[in-house]
Amino acid sequence: MLSELLQGIETGGLLIIQDSCSYSGRDLLRSFIAAALNREEEVHVLCFDVSEDELTDGLKPPATQRLHVHNAYPDPLGWTDHPAFAVQQFRLEDLTDLVKQASQPKPATLVIDSLSWVLRHAAPPAVCRTLQQLRKGGAVRAVVALLHADMHQRGTVGSVCHLASSLVAVAPGPKGNEAVAKITKRSKSGKVAQDEETFCITEDLTVAVLSRPSSLPEAKPNGSEEEQADPTANLTFNLRLSESELEAKQKLTLPFVFSKEKKTALLHPGPGSGRILYEPDANDDYDQEDPDDDLDV
Amino acid sequence: MFTELNSILSSSPDSVTPGEFILVSDRQSDASFLIHHFLSFYLRSRCKVIFLGLVQSFRHYSAVSQRLGVSLTQAKEKGQLVFMEGLKESLSVLIPQADNTESQAMNFLRDPPVGLRSLYEFVRSCAVGSGRAEDGAEEWGPPVLLVDDVSVLLSLGVDAGAVLDFSHYCRAAVCSQMKGNMVMLVRCNGEEEEEEDGEEGAEALLKGLTHQCSLNLHVQGLPTGYCKDIHGQVEVCWKRRQGDGPHTQRNLFQYKVHDKGASFFPRGTSSAVL
Repeated sequence: MLSELLQGIETGGLLIIQDSCSYSGRDLLRSFIAAALNREEEVHVLCFDVSEDELTDGLKPPATQRLHVHNAYPDPLGWTDHPAFAVQQFRLEDLTDLVKQASQPKPATLVIDSLSWVLRHAAPPAVCRTLQQLRKGGAVRAVVALLHADMHQRGTVGSVCHLASSLVAVAPGPKGNEAVAKITKRSKSGKVAQDEETFCITEDLTVAVLSRPSSLPEAKPNGSEEEQADPTANLTFNLRLSESELEAKQKLTLPFVFSKEKKTALLHPGPGSGRILYEPDANDDYDQEDPDDDLDV
Repeated sequence: MFTELNSILSSSPDSVTPGEFILVSDRQSDASFLIHHFLSFYLRSRCKVIFLGLVQSFRHYSAVSQRLGVSLTQAKEKGQLVFMEGLKESLSVLIPQADNTESQAMNFLRDPPVGLRSLYEFVRSCAVGSGRAEDGAEEWGPPVLLVDDVSVLLSLGVDAGAVLDFSHYCRAAVCSQMKGNMVMLVRCNGEEEEEEDGEEGAEALLKGLTHQCSLNLHVQGLPTGYCKDIHGQVEVCWKRRQGDGPHTQRNLFQYKVHDKGASFFPRGTSSAVL
């Protein structure tokens, strides 16, 4: 599902990448930027958290012509006289003007790094309203935002993520450079699909999706059964069976396990088999309560 | 300067990685010995050091640095060290006297909601001043900002968000623009809680700064309790890509603080044990 998201976000979509202190989602965000540039889309980036160089590191020159970075990193609050972009400008009108100024008639993809900066300085309802207006407005084709989930209250994170059409929550993976992504996708019909994948990001910002982590716990019970102690090992005598011995053993029928045919053959002896003829003998007729057979009972 | 820590961090006074934001954090422990390390380290690398000493007096740092082989008084006279003694400057704001001009940098004490913009302006003016070499003055390296410590600003009434803005602006100016370095100490007293308010408090500040930093040294006591020979553990986390290495690299060491330094060793290899 991660690969599908990388191949394109539907028009009017909002993708939120949620990360935490233990694993930064910025590399995944840069992979999304690289994928959008490779698809010949115009990309506008609102750069708050890190410097422009750090964000665009690894993006190749021919693609970067379509990349417009609005560098809010040096002065996001307008403390100097000429901020390039300040967090107060995160409103529908200013953003629409910004996007329309630079790009061509094709609507652009807006990337926000990070939404946490905006949420710290603007009220969450206003931010949600702006995001929703951006999606419906038409100036911007799709929005991709990075959110540091552990920096805000859970209610705020929940409200913003509820707006998203796709949500990718990243966490550190089992091995060093791998990470686990929990993906939630809400389609326009209302259907919600969830998935969990392990991935790693290469030097040229491509995402390699590795095995699904959900398969790993299933493999464990099988493995543990095999790992149980083999009682026929490490003995001074041989308890194992060869192939022919195993076959003979399986063919063997047990003496008191009766199949239906065997039962009928025993109960109804056919012609030619031995018959027992019995004539009652006086000595066999022994009554426990009347051993001399002289009681008149 | 602790030589073992230099080898752990792969740094030396001769080759300082520019643009690093080093966050020193501690939880129910005292990581200020690392501040002394970085102070003597950067003074030895001939960088211009701007030290915001908010919790201790100049004489305290001077005494400790003397034991580490660096003279703060000399560095201050030569112009290499700009020391802002928070305790003294705050007096000029809290007890204004006729002949004493109020320190602009600490005016957040008068009105905490205003934020730390003036403190940032002070830092910026000191850092930019290093660019111009005056006649006869020595040329120093890129500026380095050291703050000891950032959590005390929370107890002075400043919002955690304002402190995060301050550290962001300092990072943009000192690390990115002037290719210098920044070291901040942040302290937490409580246990790490799962449910958090999110917006206020030392935990939120720690999380925000951890997102911003490129190297985090987290100091804690030993999980097994008090030990005479091992004073605690340090977790070193590199956040930026280091060559071809993994994205986030974590290493755990234990340490012991001596009279003239500190020794660091991998877990279980303390000289008292082996």
